[in-house]
Amino acid sequence: MRFQLALGLVLAAALGLARAEEVTVPVAVHEGGFQPAELKAPSGAKVRLEVTNNTAVAIEFESFELNRERVVQPGQKVAVYLSGLAPGRYEFFDDFHPERKGILVSE
Amino acid sequence: MVQTMLITWRETLEAALIVGILLTYLARSGQRPGLRYVWLGAVAAVMAALACAGVSGGAVSLLGPDAQELVQATILFVAVGVLSWMVVWMNRHARAIRGELQRKADRALAGGGLFGLAVVSFVAVFREGLETVLFLWGVTLQRGPGSALPLVAAGLCGAALAIATAWLFFRGFAFLSLPTFFRVTGALLLLVAAGLLASGVNKLIALDYLPPLVPQVWNSSWLVRDGSPLGAILAALIGYRSRPSLLEVLAFVAYFPPMVWALRRSTASAPAGGAARSAA
Repeated sequence: MRFQLALGLVLAAALGLARAEEVTVPVAVHEGGFQPAELKAPSGAKVRLEVTNNTAVAIEFESFELNRERVVQPGQKVAVYLSGLAPGRYEFFDDFHPERKGILVSE
Repeated sequence: MVQTMLITWRETLEAALIVGILLTYLARSGQRPGLRYVWLGAVAAVMAALACAGVSGGAVSLLGPDAQELVQATILFVAVGVLSWMVVWMNRHARAIRGELQRKADRALAGGGLFGLAVVSFVAVFREGLETVLFLWGVTLQRGPGSALPLVAAGLCGAALAIATAWLFFRGFAFLSLPTFFRVTGALLLLVAAGLLASGVNKLIALDYLPPLVPQVWNSSWLVRDGSPLGAILAALIGYRSRPSLLEVLAFVAYFPPMVWALRRSTASAPAGGAARSAA
């Protein structure tokens, strides 16, 4: 009984996610930092964060607040998915060059 | 300089801790031959990381970024599998040692165990080694080989510091009695494996292959910040993240019941202690 209930919840959650709108948010890494340095994303939506590395060396997109980290090779464009963000401000940075910082505002 | 050192310290710590557990375990249980296999796996991994970073341009265009990330997730799951098997093997082994059947223990080690040791050490070092090499390679490209030298040296110092950290950590284990020591290392490796499992799940969520269910179950950053030294050590040991998703937490928790069952079973069928107990 409890198992069926849990299964139902999981299925409902999966279906809910499948139906959630998908929003693409692009961000590029240049020598000078993230561009744009402030991103906007609707809260609750499924966000496809497209990180492009326009520098000559590898970077690591990282955010403790978004619970994501991803190495991006030079010239690569990489999609990092975030879903159902609560409204708020989420910092991110380049772990290989921590002086590069940005923020994602979800509202 | 300091920053470069901190970055490589964090990247290397997990590998150093896992290799440290294996080396401490082998040294403590008197299994000297096994040490060589752990080092063999670690050295092979460093060379593989160097080779991969060297051809990364080619490999990237061949695989694509998402496929590479999938390979990383797969490596994590393989690591979980091999580690789990190692823990069960070590558990049975520990009982054999306690039963004073040293010769039998040696024979067990000569079997699949040695291979397992090399694989675990390879996977642990390769995963983190690749990132460290990519990072230091980037530093070199950016600064030009001449002026990058001090930074690369700082990076290598960071890696050495990580090894020192792990060494200090395991020094503390010398005071434990042998049975306690086996229990503690076993529990630690289980936590490491559960952490790796959760990390693999995190990668699949970021790739949109799995739903997070709930994006953020809790926020413990007020207690332990992710980037802090303690956060880094906990991240290396148990895959600590201050804001995990529900699916990661479920994966972490779900790892333990089957492992406890497997360990109970392996203990029951262990040749030394099991037979002695049933006779008594």
